[in-house]
Amino acid sequence: MAYLVTFHWGWLLASVLLGLAMGWIAVVQRGPGVSKAASRWLAALAAALVAAALARAIPGRPGYWLDLGLVMFATYLFGCAAGSWLRDRVLSRRPPAA
Amino acid sequence: MHGFFRWSSKWWPGTIPLVVFWAIAAWTGTAPLEADLAARSASALKDTVLDKTRIEVSGRDVTFAADAFSEDGRRSAVAAVEAVPGVRLVNDETRLVPEAKPFVWSAERDVARVTLGGNAPLPASKGKLLEAARAALGGVEVVDQMQLSRGAPQRFDNAALLLLDQIVKLKDGKVAISDTKVSLSGMARDLGGREAIAAALKNLPEGFSVAANEVKAPPYVFQAYKDPVAVTLTLTGYVPDNNVHAAIAAAAGRKFFSEKVVDNLKASIGAPSGFVSAVVPALGALSRLSTGTLVVTDREIKLSGDALYDAAVTQIRASLARDFPEGWQVKAELSVKPAAAPVDPTVCQQLFSELLAKGKIRFESGRAAIDPDSAGLLDRLIEIAMRCPTANIEIAGHTDADGDDAFNQALSAKRAQAVTDYLVKAGLPAGRFTATGYGSSQPVASNDTDEGKARNRRIDFLVR
Repeated sequence: MAYLVTFHWGWLLASVLLGLAMGWIAVVQRGPGVSKAASRWLAALAAALVAAALARAIPGRPGYWLDLGLVMFATYLFGCAAGSWLRDRVLSRRPPAA
Repeated sequence: MHGFFRWSSKWWPGTIPLVVFWAIAAWTGTAPLEADLAARSASALKDTVLDKTRIEVSGRDVTFAADAFSEDGRRSAVAAVEAVPGVRLVNDETRLVPEAKPFVWSAERDVARVTLGGNAPLPASKGKLLEAARAALGGVEVVDQMQLSRGAPQRFDNAALLLLDQIVKLKDGKVAISDTKVSLSGMARDLGGREAIAAALKNLPEGFSVAANEVKAPPYVFQAYKDPVAVTLTLTGYVPDNNVHAAIAAAAGRKFFSEKVVDNLKASIGAPSGFVSAVVPALGALSRLSTGTLVVTDREIKLSGDALYDAAVTQIRASLARDFPEGWQVKAELSVKPAAAPVDPTVCQQLFSELLAKGKIRFESGRAAIDPDSAGLLDRLIEIAMRCPTANIEIAGHTDADGDDAFNQALSAKRAQAVTDYLVKAGLPAGRFTATGYGSSQPVASNDTDEGKARNRRIDFLVR
């Protein structure tokens, strides 16, 4: 993992920044979200993929690509969470301009 | 917290560019990552002794194939690759190099090259042996057909290096190690090479022993060539030591009274037994030839050339059959020199005088027996006597003034008679010769000095 981080730090940084931006936007976005049922399915899919990666079940290049994708996705989620939390803090301190 | 779930349901649009990033990262990053892991794996194995190492990286999985020289070495090599940061899985395709039983190694030398074959325990010792062979053999081509195998005896390298030093001393042949047994065969390059190899084998490392040493010595050659035109006797080849060298040179000087002796002999060990007692009479036989070659090879004597007259051939053959130590073989290819043109008696006298001025007929001290060293001179005298068949010749014996007159008189007469008998035995008519003893009555030099006395002890040929 540490090796992937040092080797692909540029892409991971890009994922964090993308996540930050997406998280920042998500707080005020009015569009449709992912339904609860769909998000459960997605969470199950992510868990299955993480399990496959940890079990090293997929050999060769696809296995590496899976690892890389999961690391980038995790970084992205972290970025989103950080972005949303920051935006929320900013909004809650400033009273809405009524 | 509820807000957090609400926000997170709206994070999905960012996954679209994320997937794009991921695709680009995978597209551009895979090959460099694989190359990096391959390099890291190779450098992790740098200090491990392996043969036929192959590292293939697919993603983060390394396929590692190699021949290891021990189970521990194999395990630690695999562990070293597994420990490389970034490596996810190692497909272990390593194996142990085959074990050779018996562990055989050989070096074979022929005219053009030296071939190293059999087994070597480690790449390092294989390289060391090749390098040592190249260094020891100078310009000779060295061919490597060694295979790496396990099961070498302890101190194998030292034993093999010692044998490589010995192959330098071989003209052709083979040295081999089979487990701890050493065997050698072939022909030594120089005289003494076989002995040097045998001596070096005493330094074999502990545990090794010589199973067979069949190195042959090259033939021990001694040659003598009598050249009547240059009036030289050329000696080449080997003699056992300096004492024998001196003895042979002295014998050649006595037997070849008029020839200049060109001595190119070298001292070397390895002479067959009885060398001196075979070579000296063979030189005596050569001295009786007009032109001839004597070749002594190990225990074989080959004499070829032209004798001065018919009876000499028979006499030389008889002496060759008689005079040699046991175990020696003698081959003689003798012919007779064409008879020289007859000459006037006065010319004959001149030829006798010239010849006797160069050499003297020698006798055993105080006796009338002709010294065998004078055979060559007598043959030349006989040849001259044959050229003037009508001349009658007086053979005059003289002594120095030492001792009793009557004894000297008798001795000189006996010696003159002995020479006459020798001539008659050679086929000359007895009626042509008169043997006379003059004792010390006709000195040609002062009897006061040893040199003068030596000149006075003589046989003269006088044409009457």
